[in-house]
Amino acid sequence: MSRRARWARAGVVALALAATALAAGCGYVRLLRPSVLKQLNPRVVRLVNELPATDDVNEALIGRLFAHGGAADARVGRDGVMRVAVDVPPDEYLWSPAVIIMPHGGELEIAFTNPDRVLHGAFLPSDGGRQLIWLPERRGGRARIRLDQPGYYFFGCPVMNHAGRGMIGLILVKGDTPAEARLDRPPQRRP
Amino acid sequence: MTARRPAGSSCARAASTPARRSPRLAPLAVALLLATCAQHVPELPMTEQAVPFASLNADQVGSAPPVADAVTPERLVRAREEPQNWLTYYGAYDGQRYSALDQIDTSNVARLRPAWIFQYQLLGLYANPVTAAFEAAPLVVDGVMYVTGPNGYLWALDAATGRKLWQYQHQIPIDVALCCGNVNRGAAVARGLVYMATANGYLVALDARTGQPRWQTAFADVRAAESATLAPLVVKDLVLVGSSGAEYGVRGHIDAIDARTGRRVWRRYTVPKPGEPGAETWPPEPPDARHGGAWARGGGTTWITGTYDPELDLVYWGTGNPSPVFDGEGRQGSNLYTSSVVALDPDDGTIRWHYQWTPHDVWDYDGVGESILFEQDGRKLLAHFDRNGYLFILDRTDGRLVRATRYARADWADIDPTSGRVTVQRVPSDSGTRICPGPAGAKVWNHAAYSRQTGLLYVPVIELCATFTRQTQEFREGLPYLGSGFQNDAEQGWGQVKAFDPATGREVWSWRGEAPIVTSLLATAGGLVFSGEPSGMFDAFDARTGRLLWQFRTGSGIHSSPITYRVGGRQYVAVPVGWGGWLEGFAPHDYGVPRALSLVVFALP
Repeated sequence: MSRRARWARAGVVALALAATALAAGCGYVRLLRPSVLKQLNPRVVRLVNELPATDDVNEALIGRLFAHGGAADARVGRDGVMRVAVDVPPDEYLWSPAVIIMPHGGELEIAFTNPDRVLHGAFLPSDGGRQLIWLPERRGGRARIRLDQPGYYFFGCPVMNHAGRGMIGLILVKGDTPAEARLDRPPQRRP
Repeated sequence: MTARRPAGSSCARAASTPARRSPRLAPLAVALLLATCAQHVPELPMTEQAVPFASLNADQVGSAPPVADAVTPERLVRAREEPQNWLTYYGAYDGQRYSALDQIDTSNVARLRPAWIFQYQLLGLYANPVTAAFEAAPLVVDGVMYVTGPNGYLWALDAATGRKLWQYQHQIPIDVALCCGNVNRGAAVARGLVYMATANGYLVALDARTGQPRWQTAFADVRAAESATLAPLVVKDLVLVGSSGAEYGVRGHIDAIDARTGRRVWRRYTVPKPGEPGAETWPPEPPDARHGGAWARGGGTTWITGTYDPELDLVYWGTGNPSPVFDGEGRQGSNLYTSSVVALDPDDGTIRWHYQWTPHDVWDYDGVGESILFEQDGRKLLAHFDRNGYLFILDRTDGRLVRATRYARADWADIDPTSGRVTVQRVPSDSGTRICPGPAGAKVWNHAAYSRQTGLLYVPVIELCATFTRQTQEFREGLPYLGSGFQNDAEQGWGQVKAFDPATGREVWSWRGEAPIVTSLLATAGGLVFSGEPSGMFDAFDARTGRLLWQFRTGSGIHSSPITYRVGGRQYVAVPVGWGGWLEGFAPHDYGVPRALSLVVFALP
């Protein structure tokens, strides 16, 4: 095969890869974002190198280091309710995703599924009072919670010490102070 | 760096499998791998549904009798006529923390026993657990108690039995910017609604019967690190609230919110803009100041509930320290209206007069403490024990000083008793200066009391000095802006309960405790003064002599406002117990006292 043909073929493969990756919404593609590359400082590299021994149940630790179930955006439905699906991968003691991102305050419906072989549950934040949903093995359920204000909030599994072993989750609500509550002053320097 | 899998999906397992070496198949393998990255959600029967956690409690009633419907603003004005209730934060608008109930008195207080205990433990991860103190003053309306806890809780309880009627929790974000503690000091009630200010800067109105929210209004700029901890105050048709966060260089304000609709009616900043009255007490703004002058970050927050004189129609509200608190270089001047009291027209927030307790405060003495309203020889007066160690008596019609007297160790300045002129003696320095009192002051936020029976003022005292340092700091919105710090004396500070004669400013009696007294005092017509200690000891004193008559060990430190009330002919004394708050400021040697939240309610057998 000529050098030119090889280059052409490589180009096609690269394009196909890029298209597949984009279509799949795969997180790997985003590894080259500046905000990710910024993390490559020696402290983070050291942490990542330590993870092989701390990232699985019963390896270096009894449980595992803070959950690695990843993050997911809650999608806003036509009815204004935000929705997200969360499951509990078997034997992993984590929420997938572990970080739920709400684009703004409001109602969030979480569709939980528990394909694991043990009982789990979710102890959830909600304006008015916490909510609880049990997740028996090989079953799922829905929780409708309300978080009106920006910030991040904890949820966790109350069974045994599943939360301590990895089943800690966070719900992040994006947003800002409502205009009418802001301080009357010129814009200030931010960190 | 070792490549690691992002666990939690089927993709993760595949990623750790070494790809085959064949150059032809490699692209295909990678493509397949990428294609499987979309998360796999297993299909399982969706049989379960979330339920409110608090509803899983057979003992919770779920609703309260409609007692709050009849609480009108007129009834709040005449709160003294119903001593069986505790209708506002201080019990009445005058801030006296005095009750006319006398069933429990000096002769029988030794027989006081717990009648019931309400306990609560905060669950999960939440904002600063170490500081989550039970700082509230409960309200009581015709047998129903409304009390707030840390982290957004409000409980309605049966005041005779302690049974939980309903519960509300406003979710407080874990990342909320707090000054000192995840705390709340109480609720307000009127016309069937219960109001609570939340740590993330909302005023929430709840249906007093069900605990269901009716509306919520943002009044603090959380992005600028404002927050809220105070009990709201209902005056006429308005709910008054104030901000916290002067440690972050905010601009303090008092907001008035329509009690029915939640709409903001007025906001009064405590630090004036250029051109406004008081602006001359701040450095002139440089013409090229893109971020505004020192005023824009000037502090003066309003984090303690004010008092109100319905006859004069004036609200008396304390204001906090200027920012940056330990460094005054960039804010030359007296810095009005910080570390002051402002007398406001409640209808529009106009400042009628002011008195500055600590001009150009560089000690964090703040000035938010209560102004107690009382009459003497036909004069309408105001008493204020400032954190700076001085007791001020003012004529509350015009703010004129009647007398200033030292009530605790204070060497930062001499204040002339009659003119009020402040001669500063000691200020923070680059190398450190030891000054009394420390930054928490001789009395932190917890309140003094005035007995209508004895005519004496009672004050809880912190005796602790500190070495203050100063350093110039650049401002960044949302980050602490202190201008350096302090180190408390190494030896244990102590506390005192003292009685003063407001007619002379003289001390009548004092009692010394082993640790700073950071409980609000409560005076009753039974001739008693109640107090609490960091050790958890709840104490009753003879109001005339200061003799300790009774003690009860509650189990955690007390840093709250005890109250008294009557239901079914029986007088109760209620004290929220739960250690926390700004302990490194006022009780560094008692930092390790057990944390636990309980409301302990006493009565005679």
